[in-house]
Amino acid sequence: MTKYKHLLVAILIVVTSIQSSAFCGFYVAKADAKLFNKKSEVILVRDGERTVVTMSNDFSGEVNDFAMVVPVPVVLRREDIKVVNRSIFNTLDDYSAPRLVEYYDENPCTPRFEYSMQESVQLTSMAINEFAPSANMVRKDYQVTIEARYEVGEYEILILSAKESDGLKRWLTDNDYKIPESAEEVLDPYIKSNMKFFVAKVNLATFKGTNSEFLSPLQITFNSDRFMLPIRLGMANANGFQDMIVYALTREGRVECTNYRTVKLPTDRNIPLFVQPEFGEFYKKLFEKAYTREGENAVFLEYAWDVSPSAGVKCDPCIGPPPIAQDLVQAGASWIANNSWNERAFFTRMHVRYDRENFPQDLFFQVTPNQERYQCRYILTHPAQGDLSCEGGQRYIEELNMRRKKEMDELVALTDWKGKYGSNYINQYENQKNEKKNWIIPVLGGSTPWTLPLAFGLMVLLIGVLNKIFTRRAATH
Amino acid sequence: MTTAILKKTIKMPIVFTDPRLFQICALSSFLIFGIIQLGWSDQIESYFLIISFALVTQAAWMLGLGLKADTLKSGLITGLGLSLLFHSSNPLLWAAAPILAISSKYVIQWKKRHIFNPANFGIIVPILLFGDSWISPGQWGSSAVLLFFFGSAAAMVLLKVGRIDTSLAFLGTLFLLEFLRNVVFLGWEWDVVTHKFTNGSLLLFAFFMITDPKTTPGGWLARMLWGVGIALLTFILTSKFYIHTAPMWALFFAAPVTALLDNWFRGRHFSW
Repeated sequence: MTKYKHLLVAILIVVTSIQSSAFCGFYVAKADAKLFNKKSEVILVRDGERTVVTMSNDFSGEVNDFAMVVPVPVVLRREDIKVVNRSIFNTLDDYSAPRLVEYYDENPCTPRFEYSMQESVQLTSMAINEFAPSANMVRKDYQVTIEARYEVGEYEILILSAKESDGLKRWLTDNDYKIPESAEEVLDPYIKSNMKFFVAKVNLATFKGTNSEFLSPLQITFNSDRFMLPIRLGMANANGFQDMIVYALTREGRVECTNYRTVKLPTDRNIPLFVQPEFGEFYKKLFEKAYTREGENAVFLEYAWDVSPSAGVKCDPCIGPPPIAQDLVQAGASWIANNSWNERAFFTRMHVRYDRENFPQDLFFQVTPNQERYQCRYILTHPAQGDLSCEGGQRYIEELNMRRKKEMDELVALTDWKGKYGSNYINQYENQKNEKKNWIIPVLGGSTPWTLPLAFGLMVLLIGVLNKIFTRRAATH
Repeated sequence: MTTAILKKTIKMPIVFTDPRLFQICALSSFLIFGIIQLGWSDQIESYFLIISFALVTQAAWMLGLGLKADTLKSGLITGLGLSLLFHSSNPLLWAAAPILAISSKYVIQWKKRHIFNPANFGIIVPILLFGDSWISPGQWGSSAVLLFFFGSAAAMVLLKVGRIDTSLAFLGTLFLLEFLRNVVFLGWEWDVVTHKFTNGSLLLFAFFMITDPKTTPGGWLARMLWGVGIALLTFILTSKFYIHTAPMWALFFAAPVTALLDNWFRGRHFSW
């Protein structure tokens, strides 16, 4: 039997950061810059009815093109809005991203111990300057009320309430927020649900840089019984699907979606060694496959763990430093601040790929008491080194071949990557041994609607037969 | 009438003539579907414990009260219903929920009829009393499931195996209200409403929980009112208070009303 010796290395490859993004709102261009908001990150903290939403604003493009509109349930006060350091997103991402781990086999002929360590996580955090200047907004008869106006960080923020979508649309257009045509119809339901609009632009008068990569994340706090993310507005200028990573923090346990399925991604799988340099691509492909299999309308769980300051093991293995109390507070879990050692915090990372067709409703969430840990973890196993000519070594090679075949099968099952390195990899250590047949449980495709009728048919047969047996037995007694 | 003729002329499998066996088939195939297709396989231990405890509790009451062995079927139905809806991180509750559910039938009675739908009681009480259980309304979410629920509903109408009129009163009212609010008032597109109604938990509730003849009012009109009432309560809880598990709560609090309705409408005959 193969023995795994040391768990040595944890490599994180942050899922490729694609272009710019839109969270619940949308980014609009003033010029005709072509914008594709593909990936965004949101921190969502829920404590009773108190909700803190932090939007990463990782927008790529000209700073003066940046504009966002986010529906919010209440008029936010000045103290409810702040900018936070971008590093909080990096901390949470580094900590919870899908991980690749390595094990080393022990040589059955000459057992020895190896220990080495490598880590490849480096994401820099950047300091953000604060700005507090002013700008002018003219109010015409748009039936739009500016409920509040704030200067926060480099942003110029307005809280609007509107009577009808047309007025709001005109207002936004006249104030240089170029609204996509399709946004108007989505504005209407939000107005009628009594939502306010959180509108932010970069204050060009004072923002020195032109590089939007340095925009700071905006954090808003409010009380509402609605625990949701209004994604519909963000679909207005999106081309195809968008990806969103949600980092959720609660006192009780996991956060799950209530109107879409929250699905775990395949985890703890043994995969071939050659995946290592391409782990990012591997994970992207794995996600894509899972997304298709689950019908393109699920929310995926990528990580769930107790991150309470007093919790013992915060990750296994850790690929980035676990968030400390200060990070949690910065993310919005303010209950940690007072008595950090006794307070609980549970972290959930979700990944949702959404588009208009498959996600007609906004995302609604609930906090559950579920504290079960979960992580996306993929395993590499390095073969034993050295002389394998002893009897045990020969057996080991046989097992190794079988294992590698399984790894290849697993790789195909997870990603559909076929034949790239296949036979070479499996046979690399095969000397004189014959290959044995491998077995794998067939995985049913996600969109096979016949499973249910089939199950039903079988149950009808089974229950019918059982019933007959029981009634006959009862009759004979 | 037609059903009777149908039953005589075509020899139907027993499963389609005994409502409880039909329910067992349907619910267990939902569970198998969930395990294979929707990734519920990591909760198999809980299903096993819940169903076992449901059967054991039912058997205990059966022996204690000298009931017919037939009642084991309803024990199994409750166990399956709980498995499909109830979640807990505390394994003790996997045992407690079915015990509560089934015992409620024999303990909480009014005029020799139990008041609460057993599965509903077994889900709500642990949530009320202990913190570590919950319902996951988003756990289904596939159109294949929807089709099958419609199939079941059609079968139920055809074979008169359940009280489908309650389901229709409930779903019809709720659909009307959701349509008026979301499409007519708020101006969302149609698929926002249809998406809400493809929720497997809602359909499971509508077709397999409120159709239970033991805990729904006897008279047709009373049943209609009851279905409409639960839909109204569900609508208010969802759209005003954003409670996503509203139907379960609505049924729980509406359960005692069944007895009242039965009292008021007693003696009236409704025939078509």
